[in-house]
Amino acid sequence: MNDNQIVLPIGPQHPSLDEPGSFHITLEGEKVINAVIGVGYNHRGLEKACESKNYIQNLYIIERVCGICSHAHSTAYCMAVEELAGVTVPPRAEYIRVIVAELERLHSHLLWLGVACHEIGFDTMFMYSWRDREKVLDVLAAFGGNRVNYGVNTLGGVRRDLDETILELIVKTLDTLEEEIKLFIDIAMTETTLINRLKGVGKLSREDAIHYGAVGPVARAAGIAHDMRVYEPYGAYREIPVNVITDTHADVYGRTLVRMLETQESIRIIRHCLKSIPDGDITMKVPRRIPAGEVIVRVEAPRGEDVHYLRSNGTDILDRIRVRAPTEANWHGMKHMLEGGYLADVPITIAAIDPCYSCTDRAIVVRSQENTNVMDWKQLRHMSVDYYKKQGIDFAACKL
Amino acid sequence: MLLFLEYIFKIFIFPGVLFLSVYSFVLEFTDRKLYARMQSRVGPPWYQPLADFLKLIGKNVIIPADANRFFFSIMPFVSLAAVTAGFMYVPLFGTSAVFSFRGDLIIVLYFLAIPPLAGFLAGWYSRGVYATIGATRILTQMFAYEVPLFISLLAPALIADTWSVSEITAFYAAHPLYTLINLPCALTALIAFQCKLERAPFDSPEAETEVVSGALVEYSGRLLAFFNMAHSCELVLVVSLFAAIYLPFMTGIIWLDFLLYFVKTLFILVFLTLMRASMARVVINRVITFFWTFLSPVALGQIILNLLLRGVLHI
Amino acid sequence: MKHEEHIVKTLCSRFPFLENRVYIQKEKRIFTNPLSADEFKEVIRYAHNEMDFYRSTHVVGTDDGNTLGLLYILANQEEILLALRKSVPKENPVVQSISDLYPSIVLHERELVDLFGVVVIGLPEGPAYPLPDGWPKGNYPMRKDWNPKYFNKSTMQYEPPQTKEEIKNE
Repeated sequence: MNDNQIVLPIGPQHPSLDEPGSFHITLEGEKVINAVIGVGYNHRGLEKACESKNYIQNLYIIERVCGICSHAHSTAYCMAVEELAGVTVPPRAEYIRVIVAELERLHSHLLWLGVACHEIGFDTMFMYSWRDREKVLDVLAAFGGNRVNYGVNTLGGVRRDLDETILELIVKTLDTLEEEIKLFIDIAMTETTLINRLKGVGKLSREDAIHYGAVGPVARAAGIAHDMRVYEPYGAYREIPVNVITDTHADVYGRTLVRMLETQESIRIIRHCLKSIPDGDITMKVPRRIPAGEVIVRVEAPRGEDVHYLRSNGTDILDRIRVRAPTEANWHGMKHMLEGGYLADVPITIAAIDPCYSCTDRAIVVRSQENTNVMDWKQLRHMSVDYYKKQGIDFAACKL
Repeated sequence: MLLFLEYIFKIFIFPGVLFLSVYSFVLEFTDRKLYARMQSRVGPPWYQPLADFLKLIGKNVIIPADANRFFFSIMPFVSLAAVTAGFMYVPLFGTSAVFSFRGDLIIVLYFLAIPPLAGFLAGWYSRGVYATIGATRILTQMFAYEVPLFISLLAPALIADTWSVSEITAFYAAHPLYTLINLPCALTALIAFQCKLERAPFDSPEAETEVVSGALVEYSGRLLAFFNMAHSCELVLVVSLFAAIYLPFMTGIIWLDFLLYFVKTLFILVFLTLMRASMARVVINRVITFFWTFLSPVALGQIILNLLLRGVLHI
Repeated sequence: MKHEEHIVKTLCSRFPFLENRVYIQKEKRIFTNPLSADEFKEVIRYAHNEMDFYRSTHVVGTDDGNTLGLLYILANQEEILLALRKSVPKENPVVQSISDLYPSIVLHERELVDLFGVVVIGLPEGPAYPLPDGWPKGNYPMRKDWNPKYFNKSTMQYEPPQTKEEIKNE
């Protein structure tokens, strides 16, 4: 390292990162010479935790792998368990899963647009897109009872049925969103400062995308039609035609366009689902003990291909689960994308793969006016048992 | 003695330090509220800038061990003093400033150059990695906007045939139609001022997502409060100067002119805020290209035009 | 299923030892039984160079009692997954890195090192992943005999019950 070079630490704590990751950027002037990437600050041992709980309890752990694509992870897990147990999910449940998955894609992409615009200092667009994302979250909260961990999936189907009010809310929200998204696409295609900031930044050509095994919007922006909904249709995607959005810019601009156009496609898919959703049951019974076997399931999360490997051993506790989130696959091209660029482009390049380092530790803090207590697992369980006792249901007999 | 008291009043009360700081809070609030409304947010309450200032005043000052203590603690006040001094030479209403002499336009321009330099030195003597990068960016950006800014402020002076801000105002107040000639350089000056104030889209010296907050990253407490105040006072100075040179319309009645001053400055602020809200941050090397290939030629063209007009029209 | 059968056929004709050890689990999923180190090396090299398995999604480590199982999952352009299995003894778990063929595998191999205690030869230098700095040596949390109950978070020490009484109390 010569005198002209300085090492700039971006992370683990930095305003441009929404989760801890470390990037040691060697700069010569404003040019990036070298980048050393460190991840792993958020390892929470979820896979180990899954090996000590039963299948239905694991559902809640798996849903918390990621705060944004929680539904994609729980769908993959449910599909894996259902396949091992030999259970067929009722068609209505599959459609509901798809509707929630596409709503999730909508809010994830709008979230990404906001983050990306904030990284390049375009805060107005950031506020606009997050304002509209809130509408999607309202729908999901009305349906699932929660903004990001909706808890819609269960083994063998879904926990909640779509009723008239929710349907109306979805239709209404989609109509307003469609207008707003048209505006966003228009801005993305015409606003000069925005295009200047995104074009030619974080290049990952088709060959490189293949070499580094990129997935999701990163691969699609390089012209590879990599989409699990088409390659390996699952659930209701077997019946719903999905148009894969690709682009040939192979840079951050391409990734922006792909994500924006995908939101339109998601709206179309949801409308299609609402029109053709069949009537019927929403759950099938899944046995507590799952026969021994192993399975690999792939689901298209908003950020790309989500792979779950599950191995069961015939008991009610699984033997091994391995969750490969999409970011894990897109991580490897990062060094290549950063080097040779400028410091000003580092945050947007990192943000462009929509990295999801993982979410915070699991502890619940109850705030009162005088004191603050942290509850552990047992206290939490007692609290919930008491809560349900008041509602007339006694769970105390259930063994943990 | 009376004259002395009058100067004391003018320097410290009106239109000096007190007015400047109060109006800086007003402008900062207006800017933030407008910006928020443009982003469909609610925005802060009217006392927010004052509350921010008072809160920071009450906080501890932390000076990094490696920093040069003297330069680190003096820079906010250098910046504030320069802005206040520059403000004395700008006529707010009517045509006379507190002080004026032949050539005070150049003095104002030099006073305007001090806050970025103070920012640079503050960043440089903080010895932090982000601060160093932010500081170099401030200097780089200065290199970009300084020349177009000087040229576009000198062009109106050419027609008025004076180097004094007060006299320029007086001249254009007498011949309001001549201001139309200066429209192109009014535009370049507006953009250059935006860049000088380090506001989006030219905010890369303090880009939060890249260099945290640039040169001022190590500042805290009282020192940061005064840096922030210097920054908002700079905004007041800039819009006042712009109003004095490019919008020198007045009625002759003092209280109406005073009101007109607020209307003019708020009008300019709307443009500055609109610019800030509608664009993404421009990368530092593109800032230089933009200023040297677009703004400088336009400003230079204005100078040539004004020279020709002087020759032809015998203004 | 045509593609899958073709792949299995090609593999078996090229490597006679794979006969009856490679099977199609279902559509787009091909698994193998555990391969020895040499067999594995040959097969994966062939799959990468000649058969267009262009990317490796990840490696799954498993604890199979006395051995550690490694499942390398490869994908080709048709998104058919080929899962090559390998098994190493727990006492001496040494494998060769495949990061020369699949550069994207590095992170997953580092994970094997940290979580399963596999020794990966040929792994490029870099920071450990994903366990924190100061993690006690010789603790591999994903092995079945490692119980999070005994891990003291404040001292960062793994303290399993030592005496018989302690074990009994458990």
